[in-house]
Amino acid sequence: MSWIFLLLAGLLEMSGVVMINRYHQHRNWQSLLLLAAGFGGSFLFLALAMKTLPMGTAYAIWTGIGASGGAILGILLYREPKDWKRLVFISIVLVSAIGLKLVG
Amino acid sequence: MNKEWVKVFIAAFFEVFWVIGLKHADSLLEWIGTVISILISFYVLIMAGKKLPVGTVYAVFVGLGTAGTVAAEILLFDEPFKLAKLLLIFLLLIGVVGLKLVTNDNEEEGALTK
Repeated sequence: MSWIFLLLAGLLEMSGVVMINRYHQHRNWQSLLLLAAGFGGSFLFLALAMKTLPMGTAYAIWTGIGASGGAILGILLYREPKDWKRLVFISIVLVSAIGLKLVG
Repeated sequence: MNKEWVKVFIAAFFEVFWVIGLKHADSLLEWIGTVISILISFYVLIMAGKKLPVGTVYAVFVGLGTAGTVAAEILLFDEPFKLAKLLLIFLLLIGVVGLKLVTNDNEEEGALTK
């Protein structure tokens, strides 16, 4: 069950990232509510997952799903740049962050 | 230094505060500080996503926040220093600088508004 919580936390984080884009296109309270629900729900499920999973592992996987998923959806839904240099540097940042969470 | 990037760095700076707060806060005042840090950090993060690509902004936010938290835990909370941490922080900073260099600062939606 905790793995499902973790997956949900990651997916909600992805949707939170997408909602930042949505908010800039539709500046209304619905967008803001969806944004807050995305990140708020994400933290909630992360906390639930961490009750049984090791903290470093849970953080690392959560970051991996949310930030890389957010970047991919930004490209697919909002036409963010997809040149290889940007993708390589985003990957370097995220791999290092995941590594730090696993080592820490 | 471009104004939009300063926002990303400020968001990451406050992220370090609230991540540490969530872990160590044990008084009302510290919890209030933690909540305020969350609000500032997300507000500035969202604003940075107005002109910069959100995927880039979020990756840098998460990355610098993590690096800052690991460094703060070592310096302030007696977490053990490991060479691997230092190397990963260094690698992460290379990624952030690279992203800064390859990002066209005004290509996102909303660039017309200001």
